[in-house]
Amino acid sequence: MSAGGTGQAAGQGGDMPARDPAGTAALERRYLRLLRCYPPSHRAFHREEMLGVLLATARPGQRTPGLGQTVNLAACGLAIRVRRIPGWLAAEAGQDALAVVSLIAPAVVFILLALGWAVNAAAGARVLPRVPVWTPLLPVPVLLFSGESVVVMIAWLAVVVLGLTGRQRTAAKIAFISLTLALLALLLVLVVLIQQVHSFYFNTFPGELFQFLPFGDVPVVLASLAACSLALSPGPRRGLAIVGWRRACLMIAGLSAGFGFPAIVQLVNPAAPIWDLAFRLLGVLAIAVAVAVTCVRGPVGRRVAGLVAAGLLPGLAVAIPLRDVPAVFPVPVLVSLLAAVLVWPVAIISWRGRAERRRRLAERDLDFTVVYAEVYAEFQAFCARRRLPASSTRQLERAWDAWQAGRFRRGEISQWPFYGDNPFRPR
Amino acid sequence: MIYVYDMKKRSMQEPTFLILTALAAGPQHGYGIITDAERISGGVTRLQTGTLYMALDRLSSARLVEPDREEIADGRLRRYYRLTDEGATLLGAETERRHASAAVAAQRLRARLAGGTA
Repeated sequence: MSAGGTGQAAGQGGDMPARDPAGTAALERRYLRLLRCYPPSHRAFHREEMLGVLLATARPGQRTPGLGQTVNLAACGLAIRVRRIPGWLAAEAGQDALAVVSLIAPAVVFILLALGWAVNAAAGARVLPRVPVWTPLLPVPVLLFSGESVVVMIAWLAVVVLGLTGRQRTAAKIAFISLTLALLALLLVLVVLIQQVHSFYFNTFPGELFQFLPFGDVPVVLASLAACSLALSPGPRRGLAIVGWRRACLMIAGLSAGFGFPAIVQLVNPAAPIWDLAFRLLGVLAIAVAVAVTCVRGPVGRRVAGLVAAGLLPGLAVAIPLRDVPAVFPVPVLVSLLAAVLVWPVAIISWRGRAERRRRLAERDLDFTVVYAEVYAEFQAFCARRRLPASSTRQLERAWDAWQAGRFRRGEISQWPFYGDNPFRPR
Repeated sequence: MIYVYDMKKRSMQEPTFLILTALAAGPQHGYGIITDAERISGGVTRLQTGTLYMALDRLSSARLVEPDREEIADGRLRRYYRLTDEGATLLGAETERRHASAAVAAQRLRARLAGGTA
């Protein structure tokens, strides 16, 4: 089998059918475009060989990638990107992005809650027009309409202030409590909506109870991002040091405008058709534009945008066509719940990656004069010649890879160094 | 080695099994693996390029396969992959597991044909 497999492989180039050069060039261009679905590091290592295989498996005269091939490349590229998210977040830029998110997400949640409260208060004023709404004492009718929102709003204001004053753990605890209550409320909403959709009621389920509990209308995906970034990142002060006050305010304002688009429109025009599909998709577009304009700048900004874009998911869910379902509410609610919960395992895995990196940076350096005595002098000379830092295990791992890469290029070793043995790489 | 540990607990996916089996014969490049995997599966499974390289990326991370050498053919880079010792061990375990399952299935089918109960 060995000889057969290798021999067949070696003859592959000769088996390729004669092609029209212009057609092949067009096909190659299109395949290259499709390969952009893959992460840059994967492309750097595999692009040329993948292109070779794709062209070798193409039909004679084929000028465009087939549908199956297109879907497969796009799906696999996306899957690899998703699989690398924890590593992407565990890297320095990822941790910085989480720190920035821990700064801006609580503030955006607070502003969205304030907008929601304002909408409710305005609605209350319309129902009871004779009661003065905008008084410092918040009259009882307004509180009846939005009392729980005020409680939750104050909690999130406390989260923002505590985060900025360095009490990150307390801020994370408050955010987590609020998030848990909001998720619980959402779960109850989901149950009630499913009951309504299917005209099916549990006799013992007190469906109206949740309306009287102080859950508030918390945007759960953003709240989840805020809570987990506060709990598992270097914190808002680090985020502020990275982006600065000016850019932080711009991000908060932009994201608040994007995510709060329906509430802002409702404040201006209470009769706006905010439940129409077209309007809700416009809201999704507003979020996407806000994320793109305010966040995407530099590697940290791109990661912030990637994280905050998770807030788009519930909005996008409204576009899912569901026939014979009188209300499409359960779908966005379900997606909100899932997205809010899924943020956590990703953040925890990235946190473990960060902890591992820190452990490796802090651990005692290996005595490689003993471990690899025979190559010590040569490796040491390489590090000195290239002026590579080689004191911590992490630095030694990189230096070893660089040394082996040079040896691989010169043909002294046959193994590609990044997959080969590295005495400093944890197994 | 989380992946290896995980794979030992779960059954191996078909593309992974075919790739490892193809590489058990000796180092091969991408196109060679695709054609060999098709032959091994009796023409039932044809690996797509995306699937192959996603699996190779995963298997390389788990150190079950590793790049062997590179060459240029028809102006294109061709990278050969080989099975590592860990990959061979895992493939051996999976082969035994499949063999045991197939033996049970064959035994039950024989019993069914003989008029017994499975």
